[in-house]
Amino acid sequence: MMNFILRNKSKLLIILFWILIWEILSLIINQEIYLPSPHAAFSSLMNLLNKKDTYTTILYSTYRTLTGFFLSCALGIFLGIICGIYKPVYNLFYPLIGIIRTIPVMSIIIIAIMWFKDTNVPIFVAFLMCFPIIWTNSVSGIHSTDIKLLQMCEVYKVKKIRIIKSVYFNSSLPYIKAGMISALGIGWKVTSAAEVLSLPKYSIGRFLYDSKVYLEIPDLFAWTIIIVSLSFLFENLLKYIFKIGDKYDKFS
Amino acid sequence: MINLVNVSKQYDGLEILKDFNINFEKNKITCLFGPSGVGKTTIANIVAGIVPVDKGLIECTDNLLFSYVFQEPRLLKWYNVYDNIDFVLRDVYKNDKRAEIINSYLKMVELYEYKSYKIDALSGGMAQRVSLARAFAYPSHILIMDEPFKGFDFKLKNEMISLFKKMWDSSRRTVIFITHDVEEAIDLSHTIYTLKNRPISIIDKLIVNNNNKEEIKNLLLSL
Repeated sequence: MMNFILRNKSKLLIILFWILIWEILSLIINQEIYLPSPHAAFSSLMNLLNKKDTYTTILYSTYRTLTGFFLSCALGIFLGIICGIYKPVYNLFYPLIGIIRTIPVMSIIIIAIMWFKDTNVPIFVAFLMCFPIIWTNSVSGIHSTDIKLLQMCEVYKVKKIRIIKSVYFNSSLPYIKAGMISALGIGWKVTSAAEVLSLPKYSIGRFLYDSKVYLEIPDLFAWTIIIVSLSFLFENLLKYIFKIGDKYDKFS
Repeated sequence: MINLVNVSKQYDGLEILKDFNINFEKNKITCLFGPSGVGKTTIANIVAGIVPVDKGLIECTDNLLFSYVFQEPRLLKWYNVYDNIDFVLRDVYKNDKRAEIINSYLKMVELYEYKSYKIDALSGGMAQRVSLARAFAYPSHILIMDEPFKGFDFKLKNEMISLFKKMWDSSRRTVIFITHDVEEAIDLSHTIYTLKNRPISIIDKLIVNNNNKEEIKNLLLSL
């Protein structure tokens, strides 16, 4: 523990600095309804962490975020690779992806509420918001493939399916990974937003909504801290998985 | 073995080849000798089918297989040495046969101990040796070598040349060898086409034998 603190001393100092700013601002405003103090928010957080329901809620929200995220990865990578390789397919999908990218999140959430039952709304919204990011990065990755390697494959008459698997996919992997990391962060944000509007039974969004209705602002901040922490945790977990994969790859 | 007949090729309005004719003899090493930028690689790429011609004919037997040692190794950096050769052989041979061929060529280029190394861990010379092993391991009828020893120091170049000779002796095939290095051209080739631009034309066709090497060397140096 001591070692960890020493190693991350500068990071901890930065966090403490911003908490101090928060404290000062809350003292100046002096109205908990607008800005609760860090102490009030962290007390609420501790309170929440002592309740079993909090963990069930976190589990369900995580399930929704990750389901939407993984669906968008599967379809985004598959379609991105196909679109990157075949120009006519790219031309076909490009306008659709452009539209998805520009539709306001709120419109998508409201449309989804009409189409799906409450628990599936956040999944659908997370999927639809993450999908264009993964798709765009996959396409960019394919387009970055070294033409010289493709010429080599052409000379040696390597089958197309193996070129896709061994050359295109591996060339675009760094782009896909970067896309997945940014999409995961966005996934957490939009899942919470969709939960606020669709109000599934166990969901962080429902608690955010309740905190607003009952003016329990420290709770609102505590739930926000939970979302930020979860997003940070999963993003780092994904980076760690990629790092382990790279390390394994280096020695295989 | 393979003839280009009245071949023409333009790049962005620039005439590289115009009614160009050349012949590559079976199981001989033919050198395309000329200054950089003359269009030697374009000829090789037309032969290999990477570059289409605007006009003209490529006369050859059906189903010719090509292998190519490029200026740079063109290896898949996410695969190891063994898998890079395996990658081009997968559609050609079954597993056991593939392993036998790859291992024998890796031994020949003295990289057998490095077979599980990633490409990034190899030196430039080692990577080009993998490229050479890949080219010979592939059952090609025609092997194209586009300035494969460019940028190597004298010692490394000589090592690569003797390695190539050893490999060619054990598996003789038609070789199109591109260079602008006089020593390399004389040392390796049976026939040397000297080229000038533009459009490319053949200045001379020189048949190399043990008695005329010095004479050809002087001729090439005078170009």
